[in-house]
Amino acid sequence: MRNTFRIALAGNPNCGKTCIFNALTGARQHVGNYPGVTVESKSGEFTLDGIKIELIDLPGVYSLSSSSPEENVVFQELTAPGIDLILNVIDSTIPQRSLYLTTQLAELHIPMQLVFNMSDDAERKGLKFDIPKLEKYFGSPIVKTVGNSVNGVRPLLTALKKTLSSLDDHGVPMLTYGSDIDDAINAVAAKIDSLQLSCYRHIPSRFFAIKLLEKDSSVLKIKAFEPVLSEVDEQIRHLWDKHAIEADTFMADRRYAMLAGACRDTISTTMEKRREISDRIDMVMTNKVLGFPLFLVIMYLTFYLTFTVAEPLMGYIEEFFGWLGDMLGSVWNEASLPFLRSMIIDGVISGVGGVIVFLPNILFLFFAIAILEESGYMSRAAFVMDGLMRKFGLQGKSFVPLVLGFGCTVPAIMATRTIESERDRKITIMVLPLMSCGARLPIYALIIPAFFPEKYQAFTMWLIYIIGIAIGLIAAKLMKSTLFKGDGEVYLMELPPYRMPSFKSLMLHMWDRGRMYLHKAGTIILATSIILYICNTYPEKKEFSMDYDAKIEEVKQSKSLTDANIEFLKTTSLFGTEAVAGISKERAIPQEMIDELLASEQKMTILERNLIDKAQSLNKEISALENARMAEQMEYTVSGRVGKFLEPVFKPIGFDWKITTATIGALAAKEVFVAQMGILYSEGETDEESDSLRAQLVRNYSPLQAFCIMLFCLLSIPCLATLAIIKRELNSWESAISVGAGLFVLAYVVTLIVYQAGSILKIGTDMLS
Amino acid sequence: MKAVCTLDPAGKPLAELPVGTKATIVQIMPRSRGRKKFADVGIVPGTELLIEAHAPFGGLIRVKVMETSMALHKDDAADIMMQEVKNA
Repeated sequence: MRNTFRIALAGNPNCGKTCIFNALTGARQHVGNYPGVTVESKSGEFTLDGIKIELIDLPGVYSLSSSSPEENVVFQELTAPGIDLILNVIDSTIPQRSLYLTTQLAELHIPMQLVFNMSDDAERKGLKFDIPKLEKYFGSPIVKTVGNSVNGVRPLLTALKKTLSSLDDHGVPMLTYGSDIDDAINAVAAKIDSLQLSCYRHIPSRFFAIKLLEKDSSVLKIKAFEPVLSEVDEQIRHLWDKHAIEADTFMADRRYAMLAGACRDTISTTMEKRREISDRIDMVMTNKVLGFPLFLVIMYLTFYLTFTVAEPLMGYIEEFFGWLGDMLGSVWNEASLPFLRSMIIDGVISGVGGVIVFLPNILFLFFAIAILEESGYMSRAAFVMDGLMRKFGLQGKSFVPLVLGFGCTVPAIMATRTIESERDRKITIMVLPLMSCGARLPIYALIIPAFFPEKYQAFTMWLIYIIGIAIGLIAAKLMKSTLFKGDGEVYLMELPPYRMPSFKSLMLHMWDRGRMYLHKAGTIILATSIILYICNTYPEKKEFSMDYDAKIEEVKQSKSLTDANIEFLKTTSLFGTEAVAGISKERAIPQEMIDELLASEQKMTILERNLIDKAQSLNKEISALENARMAEQMEYTVSGRVGKFLEPVFKPIGFDWKITTATIGALAAKEVFVAQMGILYSEGETDEESDSLRAQLVRNYSPLQAFCIMLFCLLSIPCLATLAIIKRELNSWESAISVGAGLFVLAYVVTLIVYQAGSILKIGTDMLS
Repeated sequence: MKAVCTLDPAGKPLAELPVGTKATIVQIMPRSRGRKKFADVGIVPGTELLIEAHAPFGGLIRVKVMETSMALHKDDAADIMMQEVKNA
């Protein structure tokens, strides 16, 4: 016996094929419920008693024709040589529908193993199968499984071993199309045989004859069959004239008739069919009146989980990176490898750390989305939203990718493959980057609490999301009525029964996305952090316009707290004894302590007040000098030069050169914006917390500028990965680049209008502050 | 399948049937673009459909065909001619 086999896994959408695939290969891949969740043909490997098996997971299809990209993939895979066995998964709760594909697979004459999945559900439904008789009908062995339980797949392994050991003597299906059609099939098959084609020797000519008579577009396209086309036309005309059979649907018609007969003969129902629970849930969920409000509630819960529940976890991660930076800073002597030390602490830890902080958001969002997908609600959401989406030139199936777009644009663009209409799919892909993705969240999370009063924070966040959605929908509508006019594809979508998502697969799904995010943090963002750090630091300026160190020393000499000041401070209760000890050593009061004191609005005597004022003016002078030196150094670096060079372009939208460099970096990945601002404002300190970055931002920018930063980041392309995936999905660099450029122009123009109008009206400077 | 020949070939478009109706497909108009696609999921003359729901914002119709719920657009459903099943 051979010891390597290639097996193809085929079946309808939602038949539990992915479950079987995961159980056999242990591959990490998510199990979904809305149509076409396995759009790529994936493969995995496993061994069975020393036999190596390569398993190819084909997309779920209803038929082996070519009415969708998925069906094309399946057709190509199965007609190519090298498949030893087809593993056909059947949802045994609806055998008649599931076996439709089987009738066509049987015509390929490739050995086949039928897997009657969800057999527990079928039993509960009262279905009884005459397995030996069914095996005879399809000429293939049958095994019953329960795909979503651990032991449920074991029988499949035993059956597989047996089938693989006797591949050569597989049976012949007992299904025929009736004498009228069979005559036509035989006539065409004879013509094909006479061509003596070498490329399809492993597939019987009968299979191609049937496909040709069905006018299957991918078979009609095969050049080798050109000589038989006149015979095909002849037979189709003959069938119509003699039997009034319409060409394109008669095969399907006959197959269903054959199946109806076979099923009557082999399957019995012992129980009255009850209205299933799933249908009862849908009476509410997709109700004409309640459907939409319920949908809104479910979306709200998703966002609540993402933003509110994840918040405390983010705090822990932030603390961890703060601690890590401190720890490294104290362990690593400043004298040894100072370049590497500051690059790791200021560049890598503050850059990458600032991004990993948002991991809980990503995990919670994808957890929520996995629940919606696996329970089957996503296709209901598409059903409920279709009418509304159509008003904007989109459709129900665009909806799921658009929701995913709030998580990450890359998987969202991949999810558009479920949209059969090429035009709707293109439009959806093009507006997807406008759905505010998770990577932009850190920017809002940094800026909003810094610039906006607490009661407006949620509103500002909501406003940003709404602006993205509104511009996206308007753009979709415009594209539909200009670039992409005309009729779309025929719409057909299955609403699978509701299922309880398994905890394990939810975790796998969530972890998959989390891993992707971490991977991004560990590669693109790590690399850009290092590059940006270098650009932000070098070349180092040696000659400054003045001797800052001497000047600072001078200020300290003349304005530091005197012994008398310290003695006086000891008599007051403004600071604790430990703090005072520190103050007397430094001869200055740290600005944070002063800010805290002033914020507490504690009553002070005039003498105390004077002392604090003195300390504060000392701090201000020193920090002004330090900032001036910093600014001179910064402008000298690569970032500074690039930023300065581009400043005239970005000035009209309210950006200084620092924001400009951060924004340019953010074109690579939006998280980089926060990392870059962190590096630019970190001033070589290691204990930088984002709170003080926020304080720095408030000192340097107006709320209007802050809003414009968010707006620009919202509307420009999320990251380079998005551009790459658009290229892959639209299969053209021109499209991808024009999407990227279009978004950039859109972002610039909208931000320009907002900033200029806002400046004239003094919004955020006089009006709101 | 057998009932096909006894049905009135004119029929009523699927799009016009109210929710809750059970009806048999009489004919799918030759102009329908979805004939093949529909055939593959069992929407062929002679099959019985149950109209399960209309979507909230219009547009989609949900039917049960061979124990599976399918959503299709009302423009496409206009080309599917139905004959109501009279309950005996």
